[in-house]
Formats: sequence, structure tokens, C-alpha cells
Amino acid sequence: MTIEATPGVDTVTATVIRSAMETICFEMATYVSRTATTPILNQSNERNATILDATGRLAALSVGIPQFMLSSTLPVRFASQFFDGELYPGDVLIANDPYHGGGHLPDVNVFAPVFDPDGHLMLFASIQCHHGDTGGAMAGGYNVFAKDIWSEGVRYPVLKLVERGEERRDVVLMMRSNSRLPGFIGDLRSQVGAAQLGARRLTEIIAEYGPGAVQGTVEWTIADATRRFSEEIATWPDGTYTADVYVDHDPAGNTDIHVHCEITVAGDRLIIDFDGSDTRPHIQAWSTFGNTRGNVIAQLASLVDPSIPKNEGFFNCIDLRVPEGCCLNPAEGKPVSSGTHHPGVEVGDAIAIAMSKILPDRCCPQSYKFGSPRQMWGDEDPRTGRSFFDHGGEVSAGWVSAVKGTDGWGALAASMGNLIKASAEINEQLFPHILRGRNFITDSGGPGQWRGGCGSRFIKEVRTPTYINQYVVNQRHTHPGIAGGHNGSPDICFVGDTKVETAVSGVLLETGDKLDYKFGGGGGWGDPLLRDPQAVLEDVWDEYVSIEAAKRDYGVIITGSLEEMTLALDEEATAKERASRA
Amino acid sequence: MTGYRIGVDVGGTFTDCVVMRPDGSLLLEKAPTTPGDQSDGVVNALTQAAAAEGLSLDGLLGQTDTIVHGTTTGDNTMIQMTGAPTGLIVTRGFRDEIEFRRCYKEDIWDPSLPAPYPIARRRVRLEVDERMTAEGEIETPLDEEGVRKAAARLRAFGVTSIAISFLHSYLNHTHELRAREIVLDEYPDVEMLSLSHEVLPKPPEFERTSTTLVNAYVGPPIARYLGRLTARLAEAGYGHELLVATSSGGVATADAAARRAVATIGSGPTGGVTASAKVAGTAGLGDVVSVDMGGTSYDVCLIRDGRPEIKMDWNWFHRYCIGIPMIDIPSVGAGGGSIIWEEGGVLHVGPQSAQSQPGPVCYGRGGTEPTVTDADLVLARLEPEGFANGRMTLDVEGARAALAKVGERVGMSVEDVAAAAVKIVDANMTDAVRRVLSLAGADPRKLNLVAFGGMGGVHANMQARALGMHRVVVPAAAAGFSALGLLSANHVVDDSRGYISPIAEVDLRHLGALASELEANARAELKVANVPDDRIHLEWSLLLVYPGQTFDVSIPVEHPADVDAAVNEFHRRNAEARLIEARAQDPILRGVRLVAVGEVSQPTDLVLERATSVEPRRKRRMWIGDGWHDDVPVYDMADVRPGISINGPAAIAGPFTTVIIGSGERAEATPEGDVLIDL
Repeated sequence: MTIEATPGVDTVTATVIRSAMETICFEMATYVSRTATTPILNQSNERNATILDATGRLAALSVGIPQFMLSSTLPVRFASQFFDGELYPGDVLIANDPYHGGGHLPDVNVFAPVFDPDGHLMLFASIQCHHGDTGGAMAGGYNVFAKDIWSEGVRYPVLKLVERGEERRDVVLMMRSNSRLPGFIGDLRSQVGAAQLGARRLTEIIAEYGPGAVQGTVEWTIADATRRFSEEIATWPDGTYTADVYVDHDPAGNTDIHVHCEITVAGDRLIIDFDGSDTRPHIQAWSTFGNTRGNVIAQLASLVDPSIPKNEGFFNCIDLRVPEGCCLNPAEGKPVSSGTHHPGVEVGDAIAIAMSKILPDRCCPQSYKFGSPRQMWGDEDPRTGRSFFDHGGEVSAGWVSAVKGTDGWGALAASMGNLIKASAEINEQLFPHILRGRNFITDSGGPGQWRGGCGSRFIKEVRTPTYINQYVVNQRHTHPGIAGGHNGSPDICFVGDTKVETAVSGVLLETGDKLDYKFGGGGGWGDPLLRDPQAVLEDVWDEYVSIEAAKRDYGVIITGSLEEMTLALDEEATAKERASRA
Repeated sequence: MTGYRIGVDVGGTFTDCVVMRPDGSLLLEKAPTTPGDQSDGVVNALTQAAAAEGLSLDGLLGQTDTIVHGTTTGDNTMIQMTGAPTGLIVTRGFRDEIEFRRCYKEDIWDPSLPAPYPIARRRVRLEVDERMTAEGEIETPLDEEGVRKAAARLRAFGVTSIAISFLHSYLNHTHELRAREIVLDEYPDVEMLSLSHEVLPKPPEFERTSTTLVNAYVGPPIARYLGRLTARLAEAGYGHELLVATSSGGVATADAAARRAVATIGSGPTGGVTASAKVAGTAGLGDVVSVDMGGTSYDVCLIRDGRPEIKMDWNWFHRYCIGIPMIDIPSVGAGGGSIIWEEGGVLHVGPQSAQSQPGPVCYGRGGTEPTVTDADLVLARLEPEGFANGRMTLDVEGARAALAKVGERVGMSVEDVAAAAVKIVDANMTDAVRRVLSLAGADPRKLNLVAFGGMGGVHANMQARALGMHRVVVPAAAAGFSALGLLSANHVVDDSRGYISPIAEVDLRHLGALASELEANARAELKVANVPDDRIHLEWSLLLVYPGQTFDVSIPVEHPADVDAAVNEFHRRNAEARLIEARAQDPILRGVRLVAVGEVSQPTDLVLERATSVEPRRKRRMWIGDGWHDDVPVYDMADVRPGISINGPAAIAGPFTTVIIGSGERAEATPEGDVLIDL
């Protein structure tokens, strides 16, 4: 199929402009990495750069965290409508309100409008970053016990932070006054600088190629993604496929938060309907529409050719139905900080499971089951005499799914693979604790023809009295296996001697007490009885799998001992064992 | 300087040998690279060079003062994963860092991306009881019996090279040192032992462990290779130290390179960067970007204040993190061999390449897919006759036929598809440069361009224009530029010591002790390399971060005790980057770094005779970038002398490449014969 040339631009020029736009996104993201002070921005890469057109359609996006990159369109769309006719060259805006297109309050969008030489609004350069505090009742931006959005922090539906090139001192003062972090405004200015850089570069491109060619490129690249995504959909069998996924409980203990997903493949379009998902009004597990939408697209994008440009074209192929009032599209005012993750990521699980009925080879849930960030704080680090607050961003491994042909590997799913986590050595410098280990757990990966990645056991011992917040999921409803693969192992978290059943808030650990967190494994793919017995033997050598589990889960009989270095595969006994189970 | 100086650089296809005669004139020879054992190709190239000089091999080497060698043995070992069977001994609880990779994955959209090949599988990653605190105090003593058992077990698994990485060993290395003694006692014939505090004495644990593991893996093959080569050269009459290029742009003695073998990985493109820095300095170009456009890759490096950008900590090579300081030379898949293809009516160029075999269609070696070289040929930007020093005639009709096929699918004529492909590959390269510059916060409009490699001169002017640059230099010696660069590379010992302290609580005596240790080690290493004391200069830096930051910033200081000056400079740099609020926080000291440079005596520059005018050899119709031009004059590189001036559109054809000068541009030659284009 040949795509028609788009008015205003030939495809060669469009290819060049598209590539330049992707580079501008990269430059914006890099600007933040270089200039921000907060670790989550300068180390974790949790900054997501996008270019949108005047109507808020996604034209290009860059490195970052997929579901967040994809969720940055709606706040811009709202701002564009709100300030219709009142946006000027040199303006830079900020927005973080979950009820005006955002995900949760810590995710702050900063964006700058870009105009053509005649003064018509053409594009937005946008950069979204996660900030460490949002004001509100609790430090850290994650008040998972909040009963409403107002106790989570301050909402900024849209503000002009810079107007016609001049920073608004009043706005900066207000925002500074509503954050606990001394570096907040510095990080915000880093975002402003990035948005200004993006706007300048886009203005240069408009000047060089002309507004018609740039607008034509936006139409062309969206059409290109639409075409390629819809062509893939057209090869999928028509029909309706459903999945039900549950979160163990919300932080308040309401159990079995339900995500119901019904996907209809109709020719080259998808209808994705979440009607039937949890509508209990008293739960505290709410994913905003923008967040739900981002998770839908991020999971779908992992099912198709990775080279399809990630832009509005994906949204064009989907009729997304999320009834208002359900846990995936809450009424204004519900708390959302923990819901961004749960049931937010379970949206992706539901898509993967539903689609695995027709596309098993590509399906691989891209979710993480971390509950909430592990926050630990205290009044006095004995080494410095100062108080401390540890956001708990250290490396730990868990919930990495297998996909056909590839065992789950590494510490996090690919879709979270840009989140570079903190190290033991640095965090021990910063906070008064000692890490006792975080090794893989044997037999934690979901058995399958391809094995889920192992979870890990993370043990942190405190060196001074320390308070902790932790919400733990994945205890009963564990990370899903696909196509006959088994689920990963459960999460089990002890705070001192106490097992965390749902969530703890402000529990005191005395010096020498431990947080002992077993993170669950990833789901397996395919029938474990079909796994190559040699691969199981290798897994036993490497203690990903025990001799006992080799037999129990895989029907593979291994003789000898690892200690004595005499492990061997008993092929005959394995064949017999597997035959007896067929 | 009395004798010859020789640079030998091993490339993917050819081993380049540049011989600098005592008068500064150059001789370039190339011999096919011998992948199995690169020393064969090296000796072949040297033998050819000797013959060209009318000497026997020992006649040449007997009169040679210095041989500097760039080897890709380490890179090849990592590409083919043919290193030593390697094991790892770690602090209990931290066996799996190398698999966690701080959660990094190369492709966030592709769940099928396979795991990296394991240098050390989990079964040979063994734990022992021991622990240092973050203050460097012993919290749990070393379980010596545990180390002994681990060594025995690794030996039983067939491991021949062992890496040891204990937590916080950069603060207190007594456990690593003791563990080495025990391992050597238990397993005396272990081929190599790499201790993390010696390979990369700084946090965090993943970067240090990964670097140490790679060192252990590539060390034995590199040591064997350099041992073989040193012996062959000595046998052939070479009486001095063999110097080996490292990834930080310096050279080290063969012994030092073998001990810290990881430092040779990624050293391949550094010669060209060193030479670019020199050319840019001589031509007074100020800060530049060097670009090496060859057949398959396009290597980009930012050079500010005469120095290439150095990157530490988060360098990824062959899917492993190598945290030592390396010249930052990102590479994209764009070159003369990049394939032109169509998908969905859209034209694409690269990143896949026709490689050296079969190569572009016009080489007539069986290539069927059109490449950028084919496009340039069809656009008359390359000379069909006399290519590769007259050894080759390029097949224009073959190139046209291949391009016509792609043209049909996108509805374009042969000429249009060729021009479109050139525009696209130029845009890809321009974007690559922008990405590199954005990482360093540099504005391309304030920089100039040094372009080399076989295709560098053909595409340089268009890229420089797209980036808003004003001057381009294409060196005359572009074809052997990397080997040439080796001759001006200095000895560099780049090392650091971790010392983590809030800035107000820095103990200057402790800092001084670490600095003295660094200096003593560096001087000892340079002494082995016969660098006289008066040619050593020390460049000190303090490593600083704001609370909460992980990646260190290296702040140059006159003296390691200049903590206040470092803090002021650190604040100033951050303020410049708009971090106005940053000054409210006190930085944290993270370590001290010493770059000890042993200056080699710089080669004599050959100065060419001047000329006042130059005549083109011929005129032809050519596509220049803004379209087709009739009667474009084509000059011969040999005629380009200082004093002449050429107005574009024009082309300068050399034995291995062409330099294109666009409309409105003007070219002249530097005293050394390099082509300088003003845009």
C-alpha cells in the first residue's frame, strides 16, 4: 500500500522533518536530565518529551516511560481550549491536574506554544516530569491513604508560568510555597528551559521548511502510524475478547478491585470497553481517564511492530470506552495517587490477557506490582544529626513477564526499562540503613515454556529509628501468565515482624529492624511441560529453579546435586513424567 | 627526534599503517585486517610500509622510536563473546546486580528483546560474607574460608579469570586485597584476577561490578594478543615499548593495557578524534564536532577547548556498562554502505549496511541493494574513474539500475531517488549530531565541523549548513586519519578515588592522602612508559553532586585541596544551566580524580609549498545539494596547496574520496594541505 502524498509536503521532506521532531523531543528530555537536581529526573529518566499540534494531537514523542509519554496529551488539549486565543509566543504553561487530563499530581506537564510566522498557533513542545512532592497532607507526593484529591496535594489545572517570555513571579511564589522540596522550582525551571528549547527549535524548523510542510508532516506521520497500526489490526481475527483482572485490595483494604475489559476487533479498528469495571464509590483505587488511556496504548504498542511511530495514529484506530464513575474514569475529587499504578497498570494486564486469545505470540503484560513507593523517613540520621526522607527508589527485581521465545530477564518490564533505579552504595551514603541483599528468589518466576523472570528478596536494615509507608499488592492476584504459562510468585512484605496485609502508614522500625520484601516473579508464557528440558537443567544450575520445582512445574527430572556439581538431566524419566501428565 | 614514528590502527576491513618520517612526511599503507589474530595484519602492514620505504622490516623497526597501536581485539571479544571463562565473587546478597542492570533495558517497546549474553552465569557468581559500611568501616569481617571455597568452586567450574567486587570497596579495599591473596593461594594458576577497586574505584556497585567483570572477561585474550605482538615486534628489531591506544584517547604501555584491558574497548575511533582535535587547533577552528563517515557507521564527537568530551559511569558497550572515562563517540548506522529501501511508499536509508562485502552496487562485488555511495555516484559526486588510488572503477550503470528499482516503488526518477536518499542520510546524520550535542548542552551554531572517513568530505558541507555551522575542515590524510591520530596521542593515566562527604565536613588530610596515592600510582605508570618528569602534567578534578544526584560531575581544580574553588565552579555551572535554586544546597564531595598526562613529543608538521592558482582537471554536471549544476569544476587533491582559493560549486577529488563545495561556499588549503570550507 502506498500512502498518498500529503498536501504541503513531499514524503522525503516529511521524513526529514519527522526525524527532526523526534530529535527535538530527545533534546528536551536530555535538557532536563542535565539540569534537574532530583534523582528521579536526572537519573531515572522519568521525563517525557512530546510534540503536539494545535489541537493537542500527539505528533511525536521521545524517550521516557511509555504510559506517561502517552498520557501527556490531554492536559495540553485542555489548556489549548481554556486559553483559546490567549496564547502568545514566549508563553510557557504548567498543568498537573488529574481531572483536567493528568495522571496524578506529581506528574507536572510544562509546555510552550509554537506559532507560524503569521502568528497562528501550530504546535506545542511539552515535557512531563515526576516531582517528589505535591504539597498536601503527606510528604512525597504519594498519600495513598487520602480520601480525596485535595488531601493528596495542590491541583494546577493550567497556569501561565511564563507569559510572553517573562516569568510570572506570583505564580512561581505560589508554586514554591506549595512544595516541601527546596529543589522544586529549580526542577520546574529545568522543564521550562526544555520547553523553551523545544519551542525555539520547532520555530526554526517552521522557518526553514514553511508552516505548510510542518503541518503536512504532522498529518503525514499521524496517517503513517494510523495506517501501519490499522494494517496490523486488520490481520487480527474479528471477534470480541474479554479479560478480568483484579487488584488484591486498595490501600484502605477494599478487596478485589475489578478491571473488566472487552476488546472487539472489527476490521481495522478496535473497540476497547471497560464497562463492568469496579464502580464501588468508597474504594480508593482510581485511575484517571488520561492514565487509563496511556496504559491502554502503551500495552497495545508493545504488541505491534516496535518501529511504528508512537503518535496520535494509535488513538485514531481505537474506540476507547471508559464509563464515567468506574475505577478507570473517576468522578472529580477521587484520590488518584495510588490508582495511577493500581488499577492503572492492571489495565495493561487486562489488554494483554484479552489479546492473548488471538495474539499469544506477542502478549506480555508490561505491568509492575509495586503498590506504592517505599517511603522511609526519620528525625535524625545519627551520622549527620539531620532528618531524612528516602523515596525507596533502589533496584529490586520483579514482575518481568516472559514472551514467546524469551524468558523474562532483567529487573523490570521493558516498558519500565527507562526507569534507572538507585544503587545500594549511594543510598547507604544518603540514608541511615544497610542493605542486606536483593538476590533473585529461586522458583519465583512463573513457570512456562518460557519462564517468567524471577522476583527478588530485598532486605533493608535500619540504623536508626525509621518510619515507613508501604502498600503491598500482588499477594493473591499475582502477575499473570499468558498462553498457558503460570502466574509469578506473590509479593510478601514484612515490616519488622509484621506482615503487611494491605498497607502500613508511619510504622516505626527500631534500629536493627528490617524491611523484608519478597517481590513477586513475572508470569510465564506457554505450557511449562513444553519447556526444553535442557533449559530447565540450566535454570537449576543457576538456581532460578530448584530440582523439586523442575519436577513439579516442568515435569523435568534432574538428578545429582548443585553442591556436588553433579546435576544431570534424566531424559527418560522426564519423558515418562511428562507423558503421565499429558 | 631521530627515528620513525609509526601508528597502526586495526579497522574492520583494513589495518592502516602511517609511518611518519623524521622530516614529518607521511607514508600510508593498508593491509587486510586479520580477524583471527590481528597481529598478522599488523606485521603485514608494517612489512609493506618498510618495503615502500625501501627497507626491510627490521631495517624500519630498528630505526623506529615509537609504535602506537590501536586494536579492536577487546571489542571483537565482546561482539563474539569469546572472552575467558569468567567468575565473580561478591558480597553476600548482591549476586545478581549484573542481571538487574539498574533496571536498564535497551528497547522499552520490545518485550522480545533477548537478555544480554551472560559473561558470568549465576552459577559462577558466588557470594561470601563480608561487609563494609557506607563510611568504609568493617561491619562484617571477611569470611576467609568462604573465599577459599568460592575460589575452589570457580576453578572446578572451569573459570580461568575471576572478578571480585565487594560493596564499598572504593572506600576500604582491605577485603578485596585479602580475597586476592586467598584466591591466589587456592588457585595459583588463575589466569587473571580483577579487583573492582582497582578497575573502577568508585560507586555505585552496578557500574563498578559490570566494568570489573568485562575487564576480567576481555583481559586474558588481550594480554595474550599484546604479548604475542610485543614478541613479534621485538623479534623484528623494535627496541622500545609498544604503546596501545585506550578509550580515553591516550596511550598506555602494553603491560598497563593488558592489566586494565577494559580500557582498550571502544578505543577504535579515538585516533581520528585525537587527530581532529589537532587539526582543529592548527586551523584555529575553535570548538568543533568531528564526524567520521565511513562505510557502515557515522561516529560523532564533540571537541571543546581542544579536548574531546569524556563520559564516565554510564557507557554502554556491547550491552555491558563500562564505567571508566571514555571519549564519548556515539555511532549511528549511516555511511556510504547504508542501504536505500522502501516501505509503504516511504523511502528509508539505513541503518543496515552492505558492509565491505558485498558493498555498494557500484563496487561490482555482487551487491544488489543500492547504497548511499551508489546515490552519490549517480549524482556525479564521486568520480567513477581512479577510485581507491586507481585500483577500482565504479559501475555507474549498475548503480542506476539498482536505484531505478527503488525509484519505481516510490514513483521517482533515478536522479530524484538518489537526491532524496542523500537528503535523508544527511538528515539522519544531522540528527545524530544534534543528539550528541544536546547531551553535552552544546549549541551547534557555535561550532565548526571536522569531517573525515571515506565519505566525510562528500557530505560535510550539507551537514554543516543544516546545523548552522560556518566552517568545515576535511583533512588531507582523511583515509589514514585514525592511525595518524595515534601518533599525537599522549600517555594518559585517568584514575579516581571515592571519598564521600558533605562538603562542610571534608577532611583535607584524608583527601590529600588519596591524592598522593593517585599521584604516586600515575607517576609510577608513566615512568614505565619512559615519560620524563618534565613532560608530565597533572589535571586534578573533584567529583561533586547535589544531595540526591547520582551521576558525578567532575570539576577541574588546580590542586586537589581546592574544595572551595570546586564548589564555586560547580554552583556556577549549574546556575548557567538555569538551576538558580541549586545554590541553596551544599554539594556532596564524591571523590577525587587525577588525569596524569605524559606528553609525547608532537610530530613535526609537514608544511606544503604554496601555490597561487589551481586549475580543474575537468568539468562535469553534478548534483550539489541545491540541485543540478552544469560544468562543475573538479580539482585534484594533489593540486590543492596553501594559497589557492576555490569557489563552489566545485569538487576536489582525492585517491579515496571527494570533497564537495556547495554553491556560495569557498574552499582553501591550510599550510598542511587540509581543505577548509567557508560556508
